[in-house]
Amino acid sequence: MNILAAVGVDNPPLDWHALAPELVLVGLLAVLLLVDAFGGERSRWAMPSLTGIGLLAALIPVATLAYDGVVRSMFDGAYVVDNYALLFKALFLIAGYVVVLLSTNYIAEGDYWEGEYYQLLVASLLGMTVMASARDLISVFLALELLSIPAYMLAAWRKRDLGSEEAGMKYYLMGVFASAILLYGMSLLYGMTGSTLLVDIAGAIEGTEVPALVALAVVLVVVGFAFKVSAVPFHTWAPDTYQGAPTPVTAFLAVGSKAAGFVALMTVVLIAFPTQPRIFEPLIWALAAVTMIVGNLIALRQTNLVRMLAYSGVAQAGYILAPLAVAGVSGASAAMAVEAVSTYLVIYAAMNLGAFAVVIAVARKTGSAEIDSYGGLFSYSPVLAVCMSVFLFSLAGIPPLAGWYGKLTIFLALIEPGTLAGYILAVIVGLASVIALFYYARVAKVMFVDPAPDGDTTPIRVPMSLAAALTITVAVTLVVGVLPQVLARVTGAETFLSIGG
Amino acid sequence: MLLNQFLLLAAVLFCIGVYGVLTRRNGVMVLMSIELILNAVNINLIAFGTYLSDATGQAFALFIIAVAAAEVGVGLAIVLMLFRNRRSIDIDAVDQLKG
Amino acid sequence: MSILAVTEVLVAQNIAFAIIAVGVVVAGVRLVTTENVVHAALWLVVVLAGIAGLYILLAAEFTAIVQVLVYIGAIVVLFLFGIMLTRARLGEGETVNKKMRAPALVIAVAMFALMAYSLWGYFGSTELEVMGRSTAELGQTTAQVADTLFLTYLIPFEVVSVLLLAALTGAIVLARRD
Repeated sequence: MNILAAVGVDNPPLDWHALAPELVLVGLLAVLLLVDAFGGERSRWAMPSLTGIGLLAALIPVATLAYDGVVRSMFDGAYVVDNYALLFKALFLIAGYVVVLLSTNYIAEGDYWEGEYYQLLVASLLGMTVMASARDLISVFLALELLSIPAYMLAAWRKRDLGSEEAGMKYYLMGVFASAILLYGMSLLYGMTGSTLLVDIAGAIEGTEVPALVALAVVLVVVGFAFKVSAVPFHTWAPDTYQGAPTPVTAFLAVGSKAAGFVALMTVVLIAFPTQPRIFEPLIWALAAVTMIVGNLIALRQTNLVRMLAYSGVAQAGYILAPLAVAGVSGASAAMAVEAVSTYLVIYAAMNLGAFAVVIAVARKTGSAEIDSYGGLFSYSPVLAVCMSVFLFSLAGIPPLAGWYGKLTIFLALIEPGTLAGYILAVIVGLASVIALFYYARVAKVMFVDPAPDGDTTPIRVPMSLAAALTITVAVTLVVGVLPQVLARVTGAETFLSIGG
Repeated sequence: MLLNQFLLLAAVLFCIGVYGVLTRRNGVMVLMSIELILNAVNINLIAFGTYLSDATGQAFALFIIAVAAAEVGVGLAIVLMLFRNRRSIDIDAVDQLKG
Repeated sequence: MSILAVTEVLVAQNIAFAIIAVGVVVAGVRLVTTENVVHAALWLVVVLAGIAGLYILLAAEFTAIVQVLVYIGAIVVLFLFGIMLTRARLGEGETVNKKMRAPALVIAVAMFALMAYSLWGYFGSTELEVMGRSTAELGQTTAQVADTLFLTYLIPFEVVSVLLLAALTGAIVLARRD
């Protein structure tokens, strides 16, 4: 420090407490690297446990920061730790922990590179936690890359499988193309406003007259994010990638990456563009409507459960986008939209991870994710069948499962501004949910009514880590569904997204 | 010099890159087209940095160059794996013949 | 500077820009149309070198050097290695293009028209004054860039470090023979 001071460099103002969750993750990454490098074969079994413990350890500073309750802002507001950031950090870390639970047996029993798998997972999670706090263009972009690039490689992790390679390749090319487009939009924003801070950008592009270039930049940025959250028509990579990637990675992409994409989109749109609702609102409105309709219609005719969950995930992205389409009407509608999106993302993470946990458990016996292979599941593994039904009906939005509360917050956010656009979108959400009920119910029917396809009714042995993952996700789905105020206390707080530094 | 000289040149490169991404079937060539787009972005950033007398433009461009290097490394690893996998099937067959 | 009048330097700058711009655009078009992957990589070198020249015109020497070292020196070499190791796949008669050139061309031209209209509408004929200003005034000395990188953007810098580490680890696993 003194050496730096001697040559006239000020120490950057670091708040170590605010950075603690990220520092724990970096430390975990280093430990994993060293153990993997010097521990030899015997240390392999320790990888998932170490990763799990590290992720839970990173939750401790998140909790102390939340208890502290102070909005911490660094670098002129480029990096902010507020309740909004903390909620998502906690969400990413817990979702990451569940993904580790899902991966433990899957990765250990398959022919995979195990140590590196967990290293990349931690690197990607680090990108997500940074994303939750990022409040300027450069941080947002780099956090997005840090969470995406390891994910591209994880999607291709099943090295000898042509499907997995195709998954990795498609995901990679689409992702890189999307970030290039996003960057072009960001460069225009920087040029017009002279700043990369989201708050400054909002101030600089204010005005009733909208130059074409501002519109172009906003559209490019939103389109870049639309790829990441797999909104139609930028969703084409999602089904192939989800189907081809190793299933725990699919769960990670469907929940973690998607949630992080939404966090980025929401932060940028609500902090940098709130003064330009006339540009982003119609765009997001159209994306949301098309995504819901197309995602659900294509999901109807899927025969593979993972692919169906991929399209259902596309449709869910439409629901999550919807509140943002009316977020620019007033401050109240923006607050409602943030609350709805955050609530839905938490619930979506629980029910989707749970559904993938069942898929992994069933595939251990049947080796297949075809919907037909779930026939008779209730007769030989009733617990798994009931868990799966809980997740599917929660995804469909049936009370008293958590999904209904998520849908409710979305409806409330859409109706709040009292605009025609909001009402129409609310109707589309309702119709799409009805369509969705068909394909979710069809899977339930196969599990409960149809006979087992080959008459094999030996029960499925669920390993402990998978059972733990199922317990966590079922518990969240049920508790939030019955007692939504638990979640509402967190997401409904007044100063939730502290806009600015 | 006008600021727009640079911006328009960047726009041309951006559109050439988009054309390449849409028409190329070879993964490596798609990747090269994406590099064109990234370079268009960097021209924008440097030109804006000079115009605004602000070092942020250069800093942003340097970050993009670093990320591009990581992206290309990963992309080529995936391409290589795709290729090796298909060829390795043949090599296995040869090994079996040798017994 | 003392020998040439300011206007002459401006003319020289514009001529340099014109030469580079034409070269970059021609090389870019060849890059996306050539049938040969190795040629495409070499056209990419021309584009990247031309852009490094533009950075010097814009008084951003440090980035120009990085462009040459990292982009041409590392990324293009990586491309060439990738092409070398996978060349066998490009069999005779197999075209590298899809059959959708016309729609793609329409999209690209339409996008350019839109972008040019927007750019011209916003910035018009704003002068870019590089002449007569020191690099310090332009905020572009290496020291200023370093301060920006390591003070203002410290967290993104650390993020890039982790990113490169992760990319390294993963790329080795994917590319290695096992």
